[in-house]
Amino acid sequence: MERRIYAYRCRSCGTAHYPFRMRCKGCGNLEFFEFDAEPLPTSGTLLTFTHVHNLPAEYEVERLGLGVVELEGGMRVTGQIDIDRPELGMPVNGSVEVVRHEPYEDYWGLVFRAVRRRT
Amino acid sequence: MRSVYVAGIGVTTFGRLEYPLAEIAAYPAMMAMKDAGLTEVEQVYVANMGGGRINHQTGLASAVVDTLSLTPAAAEVIENGPASGASALKQGVLAVGSGMYDVVLVTGAERMREVNNLDATDFIATLTHPLSEYVYGVTLPAHAAMFTRLYMAKYGVTERHLAMVAVKNQNQAMANEFAHLQQRITIEGILDSPEAMTNNPYVAEPLRFFDCCPVSDGGACLILVSEDAMAGVDRPWVRLAGVGQATDTHAVAERADPTELTAVRLAAERSFAMAGCGPADVDVAELHDAFTILEIAESEEAGFFGKGEGHLALEQGETCLGGSLPINVSGGLKGRGHPVGATGIAQAHEIVTQLRHEAGARQVDDAAIGFTCNFGGFGNNVVCLTFIKER
Amino acid sequence: MSVDLEKTLRPIDADLPPYPAKRVTLASGDEMVIRQVGRDDVSTLLAHVEPLIHVERDYYDIVAARVYAELLAYHVHRVQDEYVLVAQIDGELAAVVNGRQVRPGLGMSLHTLALRRGLRIGAHAFAAKMEYHIDILGHDEVLVVAESPIGFRRWMIEYQLEERFDTPHELGGVPSYALTRELFERARSKLVVGRRPVPAELLAKAQEAILPPTDPPTPPADLLAATRARYDTTGTALMLQRRIQEQGVQDA
Repeated sequence: MERRIYAYRCRSCGTAHYPFRMRCKGCGNLEFFEFDAEPLPTSGTLLTFTHVHNLPAEYEVERLGLGVVELEGGMRVTGQIDIDRPELGMPVNGSVEVVRHEPYEDYWGLVFRAVRRRT
Repeated sequence: MRSVYVAGIGVTTFGRLEYPLAEIAAYPAMMAMKDAGLTEVEQVYVANMGGGRINHQTGLASAVVDTLSLTPAAAEVIENGPASGASALKQGVLAVGSGMYDVVLVTGAERMREVNNLDATDFIATLTHPLSEYVYGVTLPAHAAMFTRLYMAKYGVTERHLAMVAVKNQNQAMANEFAHLQQRITIEGILDSPEAMTNNPYVAEPLRFFDCCPVSDGGACLILVSEDAMAGVDRPWVRLAGVGQATDTHAVAERADPTELTAVRLAAERSFAMAGCGPADVDVAELHDAFTILEIAESEEAGFFGKGEGHLALEQGETCLGGSLPINVSGGLKGRGHPVGATGIAQAHEIVTQLRHEAGARQVDDAAIGFTCNFGGFGNNVVCLTFIKER
Repeated sequence: MSVDLEKTLRPIDADLPPYPAKRVTLASGDEMVIRQVGRDDVSTLLAHVEPLIHVERDYYDIVAARVYAELLAYHVHRVQDEYVLVAQIDGELAAVVNGRQVRPGLGMSLHTLALRRGLRIGAHAFAAKMEYHIDILGHDEVLVVAESPIGFRRWMIEYQLEERFDTPHELGGVPSYALTRELFERARSKLVVGRRPVPAELLAKAQEAILPPTDPPTPPADLLAATRARYDTTGTALMLQRRIQEQGVQDA
């Protein structure tokens, strides 16, 4: 089963949200759970990034790549990046993988890689 | 709403304090009570973020009010992440300003060094959005780093500017006997020398070791009173004239403009509006430099400099002691330290000290109006305070 | 005859190349000299290390106690192929690091003891050790263990040291890690910092004497002294703090 990350679209006004919020920021709808889940697109542009060296204990790696990606359609997400030399504005593709291990639990999220140019 | 005055102040040394959390909160409170000559307190607010999680102490306010022998006074803990301190002061203003109480004690404390550095980093990371940020290993330095990269690309801020803030604040802290860091640093040592990468390694690129504030324990307190109560206090009259607060999206990626700290701008505007003055009137400011980039960005959003010009003012020395707007002469979070719950109150402590003209070697001449910015989360909850010297 | 016994008890040291002194600029702008010392300097070092045995926090006590033992063993020829490097700022001792050659090609890092905090002196000293093992002594790998979690994070995780859990480390049963030549090369730009040769005046000052550290780690005295002093015009708080530090008076 392919895992996806979902955005939540308000049934009243169509505003899409990621991450989930209880009350629509577009129309302020007070009805509970009036959202449709729709999978987020996985390709976009790298808006900003960093490599973190001082990590919490769960991450026993030298450094961790993180970035904010503007996906096709305009939603912005934070994710891990597996890119050696990131550049602002570069096109990236994401896939859903394990991004954090904790005892007895794995957490899944988006990992972005550079789009290989065909030249 | 009634006017609210600062009758007494107190602060502990920031650093590593091996005392129970409730005592770290109580100590500056006792100092403040001595300062004001007041021991009849009706309401106590305790600003703290980590008591339950890292110090195994919930209901901290009840513990503090008891250890101060102030029972049966009303008491609550105020938690607003790193903005807990200013939020607690805001509650104090509401309590006195509304007429419900005449004497309110607002103390803040944090004991972060009870746990090791890895756990402290994780504790701070709980501020992030659980599903869209925390799971990725996002930490506050990571947010600040990604923000910095955009600021560098958009406005031409460089690592040198960041290093200048670090050197300014850490060296300024040498004039503050309560500051955590008492170690002079130089641009050569942290940036230019061949050994700079070892002296000042990357924490989250492009932010480096000296761009980040230390992990500290500490406490600070302000006693807020009504005008009538102030009449009985033999201290200079400093009014907490303006309080402004604003929130922004939890997930940083969702911010309207990733290079703007909208909550800072709104909170500052509201604080100035309530105080009846503007950024141009401010003589001394304490901004939230948990990361050096934040001092630059906040100085712009608060209205002191144009957007994208904060680093230029820094270059010209405007933000040093002696400049047109001294920022963080206490050392800021960078040099003084950042016990999360206490910081907002420590910033206020510094401003009140300045307005009372009791700051000694770091006194800003003729300081009459002071401003603080206490930045919660990564800019999703900001509280700004404006203080005016009256007599 | 005791001279014959001494021959039996004393290990034969290999002829190890010396560590060429270098200087590093610290974050404070101070110049630090890292150089190798010999058995003649050990008694001075023992005097500076001994007080830290009583600092019961941040693993200072155990590291200082072990360093003391290792320096003593080096001094009386009861350990084979040990070396000692010191870091000095203006002649003052800032760090002591030591290690030894297990056999040609294999080194063992013993300890890193920093006597001044806040300037990443431990990081510089550790790096100097690794440079010594791999670049100068020609070891293919160096065994490393950490006593403190901070040490573990700084060395094992940051340099991605390889596990050598089957190899016991002399410090006693704790799992060893290894810095291999390959890992060293990858981290060379981070590990091999500092400049040579050391300017003559700087080196002379360092060689003249190993001065006691002016601000070494001490057991916490009265941590709120600065605050008390501010409001305590009689200065009682500061006097109290000084008395506790000098005479070890408890809980005054």
